Amino acid sequence: MNRRDLLRLATGAGAASLLAACAGPGGDSPDESSESGTLSFAHWRAEDKEVFEKIIAGYTGAKIQQDISPSNDYQSTALQKLRGGSVGDAFTAFRGAQFLDIAEAGVWTDLTGQALLQKYEPALITAGALDGKQLGVPYQLVFNTPLANTDLIGKAGLGEAPKDWDGFLALLDKLKSQGVTPIAWPGGDAANAGQLLNVMVVNNAPADDALGKIETGEYKVTDDWFLTVLKQYQQLAPYFQTGATGTGSDAALALFAQGKAGLLATGSFQVAGVRKLGATFPVDLLAPITTTADKAEYEGVFNATFILGVNAKSSKQDAARAWIEHLSDPAVAGEYANGTSQHVTVKGVEYTNADLKALAPWLTKKTALAPRFQFTDLDIRGAVENATVQVAGGKSPEEAAEAAQKVIDQKK
Amino acid sequence: MKSRLQLLLFAVPALALYGGFFLLPAVQGLRYATTDWDGYSPSFTDVGLANLTDVVSNDDLFRNALTNNLEFLLAVVIGQTALALLLAVLLAARSRASTTLRALFFLPTVLSSVSVAFIWKFVYDPNFGLANNLLGAVGLDRFQSAYLGEESTAIFWVAVAQVWFHAGQMMVIYIAGINQIPEELYEAARTDGANRWQQFRHVTWPMVAPATALVIAYTSLQSFKAFDLILGLAGNPPRSGLDVLSTRIYTTFANGQLGYAAAESVVFMVAIAAVTFLQNRAARMAHG
Repeated sequence: MNRRDLLRLATGAGAASLLAACAGPGGDSPDESSESGTLSFAHWRAEDKEVFEKIIAGYTGAKIQQDISPSNDYQSTALQKLRGGSVGDAFTAFRGAQFLDIAEAGVWTDLTGQALLQKYEPALITAGALDGKQLGVPYQLVFNTPLANTDLIGKAGLGEAPKDWDGFLALLDKLKSQGVTPIAWPGGDAANAGQLLNVMVVNNAPADDALGKIETGEYKVTDDWFLTVLKQYQQLAPYFQTGATGTGSDAALALFAQGKAGLLATGSFQVAGVRKLGATFPVDLLAPITTTADKAEYEGVFNATFILGVNAKSSKQDAARAWIEHLSDPAVAGEYANGTSQHVTVKGVEYTNADLKALAPWLTKKTALAPRFQFTDLDIRGAVENATVQVAGGKSPEEAAEAAQKVIDQKK
Repeated sequence: MKSRLQLLLFAVPALALYGGFFLLPAVQGLRYATTDWDGYSPSFTDVGLANLTDVVSNDDLFRNALTNNLEFLLAVVIGQTALALLLAVLLAARSRASTTLRALFFLPTVLSSVSVAFIWKFVYDPNFGLANNLLGAVGLDRFQSAYLGEESTAIFWVAVAQVWFHAGQMMVIYIAGINQIPEELYEAARTDGANRWQQFRHVTWPMVAPATALVIAYTSLQSFKAFDLILGLAGNPPRSGLDVLSTRIYTTFANGQLGYAAAESVVFMVAIAAVTFLQNRAARMAHG
């Protein structure tokens, strides 16, 4: 090859690059790389990698490769990757905005009528359905309800969970008098700070879809019921750890795991993390009941997420469906659940993990589907959650609500 | 003639790459700024200048991000320029100690922004962090803070991390500038009885003016475009106190509003051009 040939080659490559850069709307054909023999399974749970590796090792179907992104990145960029078809022949999605975006882009395949659906609790997979079609199956069943160190709660002389707001505040007082932080709250981490909002609104809200109605403009954060929520955050502020608004998720987790906090205001999805940090105390869930006992409709909050689906842009849809069918087997789902300390939505799973057993009673309690995921606009969700953080940081509920409503009005 | 043709041919790959990966996306960005494209739908609607008008006149989140960005820029430019100059003046002389110290101060520059964010997250953590622990250890508990959790001052704490990150790099530019100052000027100043401060004030400072212009220009652009360090420290999406223009555009994009994000990018580009223009004017005026 002489210099002239090299030049021709370089010019050709440059032109090809230029054409590739022209890809715009409508460029959604499957990528050639997806023709290789390995099936891509895209998800965001790096902490589940080893358990999935074990499940993959026992799978006799296609060779599976896990494509794992950090959850924030997955939230932002997964759709663009999935749409290309090169990543995520089988994939997962968050409940709410991401699920809807992927549906709008036509990336889910319809699983309606598939035999694998028989393996799930019907009431727990509604978050994967849209317009009468089952597009995906939520695999994980988590409780977005504060974790409780029952040793510390027991020392506070509490036999059973408080049934109303005053009882909850009294518990926090007792915990504080023991010299521990009553609530560890990761107010500095947007993704986890908002988990507390779920339990704070479910009994205060005038409707189950109240947060969704804030987004559509039907309700406002300046309405009395949401001001009540913010005023209750104001009441909770003295019971959060020092500098709660600047505390990240890992630090809040560490405070709880070290036995320095009575409650961790996130959810059951952090039990595995608590154990990883060496905590040996018994753990349960304890939701603040924000009303009087007679007005409380829910005991806590659950979420069905990690929605499994088959990529409509993939050339290996049959293999992807077979992989999801494998994950839906109760024995395999049990291996996943017990290995990751996460409940699952699959029927007939035997929980052998001690924490899952301890939290199993919550499977039959009156819990609401986590309302925070009714938001589909990140700016609106951010504005509402930011109002709670600002109140915890000292701003008045009215001022915080006004500022948030202004953003909502602009964005809706 | 043949040689000119050959030169042009050699330039073709570079031009193609530049055109394909910079000019064309930039032009496409302008086009998308006038649409409501969500980034993945096969079609979109033209909205004319509505996105740009909204960004400029009716978007409090964008305005808040711009304010934060300008505060961040100002804090970093002042802090970084002052620290870099101070370090350069102290370490300009060649000695084993100064060489070691220069290397130490330059060290953060070689780290990735994500690593720097990780380090400073540990410093700023209100419960386990170095800053509050040190304050507590010396009895200054009343100055302990939530740092990144303080809505009104959080951006300045990120600025401190940014200054720590890049001051060493700017120090090198200043050291190069100081080493070019003729020794005779200092000798003359000393002969006239100038003390060290006067030597700095009347010799060093005017003579490093070109370096200062370069440092300020580079630092401003760096601060205006700051993204990964802020996202690393603030989390995604950042709360309002830490949201800057680049993170705002990222959030809008993640929100499925590519057309609007493109409009924000256009305004961002204009803002960067304005800052650069003002700096060039200021630098020219400073040099007479």
